[in-house]
Amino acid sequence: MSTLSLDINCQFNGFLLSLKQDLKLKGITGIYGHSGSGKSTLLRIIAGLNNQATGTVKFNDIVLLDSSLVDTILSSNGNRRKKTFIKPQARNFSLVFQDNRLFPHLNVRENLAFAAKRCSHSRLKVSEVLKLTELESLAESSVTTLSGGEQQRVALARAILTEPKLLLLDEPLSALDQNSKNVLLKMLINIQKRLDLPMFYVSHSLDELQQISDNILVLSKGEVVDYGDIHQIIHQLNYAGADSDSDLSQLIIHQQTSLALPLKVNYNQPEDNHGLKTLLLNDLQEIHFPAHLIKDHSTNKQFITTNDLNEQVNLRFFILASDISLCLETTNNSSIVNHLHGVISKIDCSNNNVLITIDCAGQSFFANISSYSLDKLLLKEDQAIYMQFKASAVRTFIT
Amino acid sequence: MVTNPDLLALITTMKMAGLTTLILLLLGTPLAWYLAKMKSRFKVIIEAIVALPLVLPPTVLGFYLLLAFSPQSLPGQLWQQATGQQLAFSFSAIVIGSVLYSLPFVVQPLQKAFEQLGDSLLEAGAVLGASPIDRFFNIVLPLTKASFITAASLGFAHTVGEFGVVLMIGGNIPGETRVLSIALFVHVEAFNYAKAHLLAGSLLIGSMILLALIYLINFKPLREVKP
Repeated sequence: MSTLSLDINCQFNGFLLSLKQDLKLKGITGIYGHSGSGKSTLLRIIAGLNNQATGTVKFNDIVLLDSSLVDTILSSNGNRRKKTFIKPQARNFSLVFQDNRLFPHLNVRENLAFAAKRCSHSRLKVSEVLKLTELESLAESSVTTLSGGEQQRVALARAILTEPKLLLLDEPLSALDQNSKNVLLKMLINIQKRLDLPMFYVSHSLDELQQISDNILVLSKGEVVDYGDIHQIIHQLNYAGADSDSDLSQLIIHQQTSLALPLKVNYNQPEDNHGLKTLLLNDLQEIHFPAHLIKDHSTNKQFITTNDLNEQVNLRFFILASDISLCLETTNNSSIVNHLHGVISKIDCSNNNVLITIDCAGQSFFANISSYSLDKLLLKEDQAIYMQFKASAVRTFIT
Repeated sequence: MVTNPDLLALITTMKMAGLTTLILLLLGTPLAWYLAKMKSRFKVIIEAIVALPLVLPPTVLGFYLLLAFSPQSLPGQLWQQATGQQLAFSFSAIVIGSVLYSLPFVVQPLQKAFEQLGDSLLEAGAVLGASPIDRFFNIVLPLTKASFITAASLGFAHTVGEFGVVLMIGGNIPGETRVLSIALFVHVEAFNYAKAHLLAGSLLIGSMILLALIYLINFKPLREVKP
């Protein structure tokens, strides 16, 4: 797995961004923080668009920035080695900006071709990416006539066509309406999986980040507050002590379980009379969820169809940790339709709130309970447990 | 061999203006780029120097250039050593003079266009793998095309119309430094009004057509405002 090692300082207008962190380049890494926390600056430093930063930036063993060697007299010839700074065009990291920055003199296809022409590998074809981003019908349109959501899709398609080693996304959805956001989020996850393209996704919305990212880097006032698995970090953020002077302590975040593992979905199974469908977690356990979640509301058709029962589909479902309750025994006399059997892998206590991590068929589920319930049920790690949640507690992006 | 002196003056004028415009585009583009991107306070000094020909009487510029081009001064001497010819009262002198005299007409529209274009599209180009030269030819040039046409046309037209600088440093040598504006002056001095009318009228109509073309290129119809 590739790693991006950062040890940087960047000062401007009285603001100091100072961080030292190794970031794993796998899946989607969310970069979260309030306005002015340094998220966009960090992205610009990684992309090579900020040349004021000092320190080092390394991609695996490749040094992208190293300002420490300035003024150091090296070796026998006494030459001064200059600061290492790899220019943005040589880094092969693509960046999708908040404002799409499409070239107005080129149409959609030409904007994409601009990127494809400058890509040395050219494994991806323009036509393929047009299809992937559902832009085929707009290929010959002028980019200035497109809607905001369409323009951002073109920007995303253009960035993908450089076949970057890392795709940087700087709040690409911030100017879009909820519907366009949902379309693009789904597209991003799909693209990430299809192309196995690591992404850094900057956002100030934790809900957005929980839906797409695997890891999260939390910035506050130019410093790293946390880095790690998104669900764990969100739990920590949720219950950060009230005495903390971090500007993140007042957040209210809804902890979610995201079912991001490839789930086998029997799409051919007709809806039952109750409007429910089933996700097969493993041979023995299944999750029922409202069928409308995988339906396109405009056409009333399933938006994911497959003839192969065993095809793995990477659609993400979410269950809020507060929607899952725990039971020592299973019961059949309950209105709750989902009963899963798992093993407690972790118990995190913060004040009177407890986050229980339950391993069930290789998938981690998060459940919030009170410390009262923890004591009452005498829960311990490695203990077998039943989880219960309503079918309606299963959500997708469309909430 | 052209024998008609007025036709000869026309050819000299076109040669001078064409060469001047070419040199102005080659020198003016990087200068305008530098001024548009420069953040230092010293920028205003360079801007003032570039704009000087707009306010200075051409004869003042011509006078100092004449001194500089003379074989007694260093630039004149260096030129003579390098080319074996005297610089003052030569075709090269009037081209150099016109370049300086028409510089603001090329630099200012380009600088304004580069400033308006900003950095955002260039940054987008950079992260897509485009080098600075690539970005200039494939992003900047197509998006500032109209300003380049304006700059080139204004530089050309202004050079065709110059008189004072050419007279001071070029004199009136047929086939070498006698341009249309000077030929016109010679006709008027000799009370040859018929020939003067022909030259003056052609310059007037020619300039009119050129300017109309510039405005046509930059013409953007006002969009109708929807109620």
